[in-house]
Amino acid sequence: MMTRLAAWWRERVPVSGVQLRELTNEPVPNHLKKWWFALGGTPAYLFVVQIVTGILLAFYYQPAPSTAYESIRFITQDVAYGWYFRSLHKWGATFMIAAVILHQMRVYFTCAYRRPRELNWVIGMCLLMTTLLTGFTGYSLVYEQLSYWGAQVAANISNAVPVVGGVAKHMLLGGEVYNERTLPRLYILHAAVLPTTIVLLVIVHVAFIRVHGVTELRFPDEDVAKPSHYDFFPDHLYTELSIGLVLMILLSAVSTIFPAMIGPKADPLTTPEVIKPEWFFYVSFRWLKLFSLTFAVLSTGFIVLAMFAWPWIDSALRRLTGSDDASVYIGIVATFLLVGLTVWEAVVEH
Amino acid sequence: MTLRMKQALIAALGLLFMVSLIFVQWMEVARRREEAGVSVKRVHAPASSAACVECHAKVSTGIIDHWKGSTHAEKGVGCVECHQAGDADVDAFQHYGATIATIVTPKDCSRCHRTEADEFMASHHAKAGNILASLDNFLAETVEGAREPFSPHSPTLGRNITMVNGMASAESGCKQCHGAKIALESTDGALITVDDLKPNEDGIPTARDVAARVKRNEEGRPMLHSSSWPNTGIGRLNLDGSRGSCSACHSRHDFSPRRARQPENCGKCHLGPDHPQKEVYEESKHGVAYRDLFQQMNLDAKDWVLGVDYSQAPTCATCHMSGHSRNGGKITHDPGRRISWTNRPPVSLVMDTDARGAVVKTADPEKRREEVKSTWQEKRDQMTQVCTHCHAQNYVTAFYRQYDDFVLNYNEKFAKPGQQLMAALRQAKLITDKEFDEEIEWTWFYLWHHEGRRARHGASMMAPDYAHWHGMYEVAERFYVEMIPQARELARHAESEGKTEEAKTVLTVIDAILARPEHAWFESQKAEKAATP
Repeated sequence: MMTRLAAWWRERVPVSGVQLRELTNEPVPNHLKKWWFALGGTPAYLFVVQIVTGILLAFYYQPAPSTAYESIRFITQDVAYGWYFRSLHKWGATFMIAAVILHQMRVYFTCAYRRPRELNWVIGMCLLMTTLLTGFTGYSLVYEQLSYWGAQVAANISNAVPVVGGVAKHMLLGGEVYNERTLPRLYILHAAVLPTTIVLLVIVHVAFIRVHGVTELRFPDEDVAKPSHYDFFPDHLYTELSIGLVLMILLSAVSTIFPAMIGPKADPLTTPEVIKPEWFFYVSFRWLKLFSLTFAVLSTGFIVLAMFAWPWIDSALRRLTGSDDASVYIGIVATFLLVGLTVWEAVVEH
Repeated sequence: MTLRMKQALIAALGLLFMVSLIFVQWMEVARRREEAGVSVKRVHAPASSAACVECHAKVSTGIIDHWKGSTHAEKGVGCVECHQAGDADVDAFQHYGATIATIVTPKDCSRCHRTEADEFMASHHAKAGNILASLDNFLAETVEGAREPFSPHSPTLGRNITMVNGMASAESGCKQCHGAKIALESTDGALITVDDLKPNEDGIPTARDVAARVKRNEEGRPMLHSSSWPNTGIGRLNLDGSRGSCSACHSRHDFSPRRARQPENCGKCHLGPDHPQKEVYEESKHGVAYRDLFQQMNLDAKDWVLGVDYSQAPTCATCHMSGHSRNGGKITHDPGRRISWTNRPPVSLVMDTDARGAVVKTADPEKRREEVKSTWQEKRDQMTQVCTHCHAQNYVTAFYRQYDDFVLNYNEKFAKPGQQLMAALRQAKLITDKEFDEEIEWTWFYLWHHEGRRARHGASMMAPDYAHWHGMYEVAERFYVEMIPQARELARHAESEGKTEEAKTVLTVIDAILARPEHAWFESQKAEKAATP
């Protein structure tokens, strides 16, 4: 009976176990046994958490100015476990963005973006930008005072971008000002366009990794007699599963101890005394406050562009300086700047 | 750079980032908790009050703790902003380099809250101090106590009491709700009040000679007399000429809108045998719903607009003062603006009010047209807007029909006849002009001031037991079983003394009242019985 059933299956799915093992069992370099080198899988894992909790929230969320806030209140206060899934979604976003940044820091400082992996760095940058945008649009959906005015500020900032700013603002708001079409637009971006983009980008990202293989880091004290690689299945999968389980426990604990709150409802007629974006935009928000709007926007654009083109800039720097480490020093400064500006914005009231 | 070094670098920078992230998240969560009203907002004392806060946090912790929880603290309004005084203010004194006054009056609050102060000044609340010359105050000052201090008639063990303050009942009772006339001690032993100071529009005394006599303690602080301070009565007569006390409802020093929205706040004064609004409310379905749904009332909401921020149940503030969705959320600090009957006097009057907010009492239609600036119907329409957030228009209209019928029944059957009878007794000189020196005066007072008000308030706020058993039942008993027999007894006594005409006049009034169809039941059987041989 079982033999006949197996034969039936093989006829319809003509993929053997050996082929499947070959397909998935990419040899993994030893350094990935250390979890801080294996942070690439973490955002992917958290992305799945976001998709699942996001679908659950979407059952109740109503994206219109008249209903959005009430539906969030309903989810938080009335729906069974609504507060928990909303908190998981909120903290999942924070964890995901943190994991993306940490992963990018690892890739940067180990120079894993260098030839021939430049294009995958660009894909990674696209993933970072898409993740940040997803975070921004998600926060705007709550339709509380801060999220509403945060969206207003973002629209005004995009308006300051030369040439395309006006169009960008118009596209973001669905008009010249925040209106009844804005929330549905942000919702479609958050729940459909951006997640689909992330999925497509992840596929290309992983495909590039498979094509090029993971950057190999060999420590000098490693025993050369020992194998330099280990199996993806089950060894690396166990590492990823361990990270995932620890993350889930952490995420659940944080969501329970610090559940997502709901602030005052958006009031288009009353500007709050203090406007703050989500924490991952603190750095650019503080930057904006330090300089004139145009300079801040242009310089931010320039920095983002430089981040995209970093593999080629790094290459040029190496040629110019004759040293391999210029990018590392720049990275240290950039990290301190990122941390410093973020903490600064967190501490001050205005 | 070696791979090991890079590994260490990644670990160090990663750790730095993670630590900063935890810190940022901590700040973010704290901010969110504040926004959602879960935690107390962080406050910073403004520079002007930093020293006050630092010192008073040690010597009077409660004041600072309350202030820290206030919106004032959040917005940087400190001690000096409210307590500041000018050198010309009669109660000003120097306190660690700042010129301040102890009492913060509505005039002080109006520096920032102009509209609220104006509305309050136009309200009956602000005129509550008028009781100082009324019948109620005669009770406290004379009947319950004595206007002049008197000597004790026996020792108080453990204390050396040489004099009894006969005004004690008024000071601890009446004035704590109605408001005291704030008095400063004078160097000549007299008391100095607003009447002596004659303040101008800015609250500065024009009688400078009087102001110069203010007695000060060794620190230079003017001495407030204990007959008038402490006092947060809502109609307080302040030294700067303003009336009232905002802290009567908002409490000092946290000035809590949340507290002012709760019925317990009004219950400091609006309770008891003569005007049990708080108990009446608690018996009503409104009060029952509030007690049950208290947690969902969103009492911390910024504007607390009915139909927007909540609609679970109304409180006193909801119906009489707060904003609602049909009036654009506009709050009023004049609780009389939605009241269509005043049930305070012996006979209820409709709230046709003049430009000063006083009830127009003239019966001349022409004069009424001239004087009335706001009609009872306008006020009722405003209240109806509130009611219809939860009730259909037909329901509200029918309720007001029941309420009107109830008040009119009380007015016509007992209140007006009671007044007529008392007037007849006084006119015939069967009782003296002095209040409360004859039993029937107490009887009449109980009838309208206690039972009559209880009944009317019960009907006005849908509390059936107060309308009936604590209300009209007792009104009727007081009228038939006490007032009528006492009036007849006074007449019979007068007749025995040879005042035949006077007695006859009073007995005629009694008979005319009892002959009315609504009273005929009372003596018809007795008359038949008497006629039967």
